[in-house]
Amino acid sequence: MQPLPTEVHKARHEEFKAFAAVLVEPAAGEWDREQRLPDAVLAALGERGYLGTTIAPEYGGRGWDAVTFGLLSEALGRTSCALSGVLTVQAMVAMALQKWGSAAQRSRWLPLLASGQAIGAIALTEPGGGSDLHALATNFAAGAGERLRLNGRKKWISCAQFADVFLVFGKLDGQPAACLVPRDTAGLSVEPITDLMGFRAAGLAELDFRDAEVPAANLVGKPGFALSHVAPVALQYGRLSTAWSAIGLLRGCFEESVAYAASRKIGGGSVGELGMIRSLIARMGTDLEAGALLCHAACGAQDERLPDGFEKALMAKYFASRAAVRAAADAVQIRGASGCHGSSLVSRCYRDAKIMEIIEGTTQVHEDMLGRLFVEQRRDG
Amino acid sequence: MDRTQIKQALREFILRSVRVPALGDDEDLFESGIVNSLFAVRLMTFVEKTFAIEVAMEDLEIDNFRSLNATAGFVLRKNGVHAAAAD
Repeated sequence: MQPLPTEVHKARHEEFKAFAAVLVEPAAGEWDREQRLPDAVLAALGERGYLGTTIAPEYGGRGWDAVTFGLLSEALGRTSCALSGVLTVQAMVAMALQKWGSAAQRSRWLPLLASGQAIGAIALTEPGGGSDLHALATNFAAGAGERLRLNGRKKWISCAQFADVFLVFGKLDGQPAACLVPRDTAGLSVEPITDLMGFRAAGLAELDFRDAEVPAANLVGKPGFALSHVAPVALQYGRLSTAWSAIGLLRGCFEESVAYAASRKIGGGSVGELGMIRSLIARMGTDLEAGALLCHAACGAQDERLPDGFEKALMAKYFASRAAVRAAADAVQIRGASGCHGSSLVSRCYRDAKIMEIIEGTTQVHEDMLGRLFVEQRRDG
Repeated sequence: MDRTQIKQALREFILRSVRVPALGDDEDLFESGIVNSLFAVRLMTFVEKTFAIEVAMEDLEIDNFRSLNATAGFVLRKNGVHAAAAD
């Protein structure tokens, strides 16, 4: 394997950063205040194929590797985790579908997802379940005429306010199952969740299924395998994207801090000449480098289809999201009062970073999974 | 790869990944708790990568992955080899 990133990756990253500089950075603060993403920016992502980067070309996707997908998340996450959140859930739905969907599901939905004509969302978390996926209470019941009847609630679903199709997890005859539910399904209502601390433009919502019926052919994978095989494929891309978004956020904090430290005068010198400030920036810059290396390792393993790609993605998301929280707090500290104002990038980063540590599995869930993996893999002697 | 080689590769991967002292050819990987939700997809990825096959929706049957013998049979079937002939 070539060292990552390759020259092709670097060139694409520059393209993504240029896109973000023009279409994301000037407006991201406004999206955050208005708590919504404009249709125009979603359309711009779709036009460039950015909503289907990992979808195979036969379905209209770019067929890019996980590294490239990650670098796009990084470039957008630099100023808008809410926008990179769209990439996250789109890839989660698309890649679960590409792996486990039927031929009919793939040919119907993947071209729509690849072009951005449809936005997908993952409906996994429930009001009473949180991180405990096995406690799914949403019920899929076999209805008349090869149909499924859904009842239950989902909460904190990213992009649900504007998603066109949901990959919903529940139980069918006591077995974990997943199925596609179009937004216009009768019996499904979408209630926006507003006033989040961060991630405010990501369009979170609560879903209420009341005798919502879909064809049984909408099942993705087979009942019994939704949590062991379908969800992990989705979560793998969710973690990779979130990890890279956190690295983007961290880079924003680092760049802002370095620029501020160099320009802000204090006592005849610059803030950057203070040892205490240098310590904060040193940690930030080192975390940025280390986090990016973990992310590259995870994406490289994913692209090589290595079994340890899953644990590498856990490590990347675990490290990057925690490092982003530290960096955002330090970036606000370095800027002082101006960093506390809503007009500063770092104040938004401060609020968004915490969300990165919670979505796609909390820090504590990651510690539990990684700790168990490390203990199981320890060989005697 | 024949059945014996497939089982050996599987056994080495599982013993490297999960803390069990030994693994019989017909030991139930699910009932014994060796394959939990965390490990299932890693094992599947190993099978796909090592034996150059693609596990698809129609392959999602516990009986395809229940034991070393069952998984080896599945790999041989996916590769178009009759399990009995290779046994």
